[in-house]
Amino acid sequence: MPGIESLLGELLLGPAPSPDLLAKLCKKHEISATDASALRDSYERLAVYRELVRGNLREALSLSIPRSMARLGPLFDEYFDRFLQERAPRTHYLRDVTPELLEFCAPLWASDARVPRYLYDLALHESLHIEVSALPTLPRGHQAAPLTLEQGVDFGAALRHVSYHHAVHELPEDEQDRSVPSERQVQLLVYRSPEHEVRYLELTPVASGIVERLLAGESLGAAVTRAAAASGTSLTEAVLEGAARLLADLAERGVIRGPRPEGSSSPA
Amino acid sequence: MNAPEPPQRASPRLAGVGLGLRWDFLEEVVDGPALPIDFFEVSPENYMRRGGYYPEQLEQLDARYPLVTHGLTLSIGAVEEPDAEYLRELKAEVSRTRSPFHSDHLCFSSVGPRSLHELLPLQQSRQNVARVAERARRLQDILGVPFALENITYYAHPGRAELSELEFLSEVLEQSGAGLLLDVNNVYVNSLNHGFDPRAFISALDSSRVVEVHVAGHTRQPSGLVLDTHGAPVADPVLELLAFTLERTGPVPVLLERDNNVPELAELVAEVQTLRGIYERSLERHHAGH
Repeated sequence: MPGIESLLGELLLGPAPSPDLLAKLCKKHEISATDASALRDSYERLAVYRELVRGNLREALSLSIPRSMARLGPLFDEYFDRFLQERAPRTHYLRDVTPELLEFCAPLWASDARVPRYLYDLALHESLHIEVSALPTLPRGHQAAPLTLEQGVDFGAALRHVSYHHAVHELPEDEQDRSVPSERQVQLLVYRSPEHEVRYLELTPVASGIVERLLAGESLGAAVTRAAAASGTSLTEAVLEGAARLLADLAERGVIRGPRPEGSSSPA
Repeated sequence: MNAPEPPQRASPRLAGVGLGLRWDFLEEVVDGPALPIDFFEVSPENYMRRGGYYPEQLEQLDARYPLVTHGLTLSIGAVEEPDAEYLRELKAEVSRTRSPFHSDHLCFSSVGPRSLHELLPLQQSRQNVARVAERARRLQDILGVPFALENITYYAHPGRAELSELEFLSEVLEQSGAGLLLDVNNVYVNSLNHGFDPRAFISALDSSRVVEVHVAGHTRQPSGLVLDTHGAPVADPVLELLAFTLERTGPVPVLLERDNNVPELAELVAEVQTLRGIYERSLERHHAGH
């Protein structure tokens, strides 16, 4: 009996159905002769469900990554079909289907010359809007205590810290636009403001290194020192002033609440 | 085995005519003047494991209107057990919204780890009756509130049917003790697609199990197949079937569902008012008949 559910799953997520395919699936899933006969009789109506499944998922994706889908055109359909056949969504939540699709497509797109090299960055950038808007809410409120070099920092905004190989964040929002983003390393902080707006802040390599280390739970002093060293920058007065400006800016944006209390867990 | 008792029907938090909550008009409802809508039904999956704007709006809505949860992805009929993490999150959401009961669909929507995000018909078999009934019984304990199952539309039956749709639904309810969320539009659509009398179907159901009634719009395909689209106003034959149903069930909450081609809120409020008129007239006839 469970074979029927498995058969339906394969029929609805798989390639365009045909009576031959249905017969093969019946054999594969060891469907009884009476059930196979009934399935054959209702074949055309069962195929309706294939369109419904695809329609629901495609609609969710089009809300999340419309520009990437438009730029891929028919190639998107090809990869959408492969995703459904080879992996399919695992999540209960439609909003999480896009990250699952992108995880599946990332290595495939990287080795497919037909897919623009910036496309994964663009799709990730688009999908982050819904992802960040839905991240769990963190405790709010600014802590009056000043930051110290010995302590880490307490983040107050839902955020993602990402790197792109292309400046896809500079592309127009227009779905018809086909301009190509410049190829350069981009570090972006994508965060949700106290007003629930998703905002984007491009970071310098040193600033990105500081944020990355603070998110990993390092103390402020260690984060600044190691970020400067990692980018080959001396710990000059200018770098320290830049770090202070960054922290003040993040505090003003509600990204940083204040020093992380002793003994509290790492934010990462 | 003794059949479990029918669920307690009356809920002080839920009565009258409600509307399915959609983000298209969430802000308008939260910030606007009080509407002649008795309750809102929410899909918990839209708010579970989520922070930010929408859960905050829902919290504000909860302060103004009663809420009831109606799930989409439980997949109670799947071969595999329901996802434990999902159930934990669902319980928290049901508790947050103070929903008097929780409902989901008598269907499956997942196969192994794959989630299809569509309500798929179960084979109407005794084995599936036993599986769903056992899970529905357990679910009431897990969630801590009564649980109800909704009859779905189905365009084809998967394989040979051991039981009719009516027998399958009735057996599941009987063995599980779950309530019935009776979707009148689904009954009507199924009656068109499978050729049966919808009034006879509704008359044969145990009306004491009905905890809520759904109505929605449907669309006929060029092929003749009628789809449950939730994308049009409720059709007149469904309104007539609603009246017929309420005369039998008595006062159970009625909900208007509109998920596609969502019009202005004012239009939905007007449709709710039409339903309210039917609701009140039907209850008068129900009481006169008793």
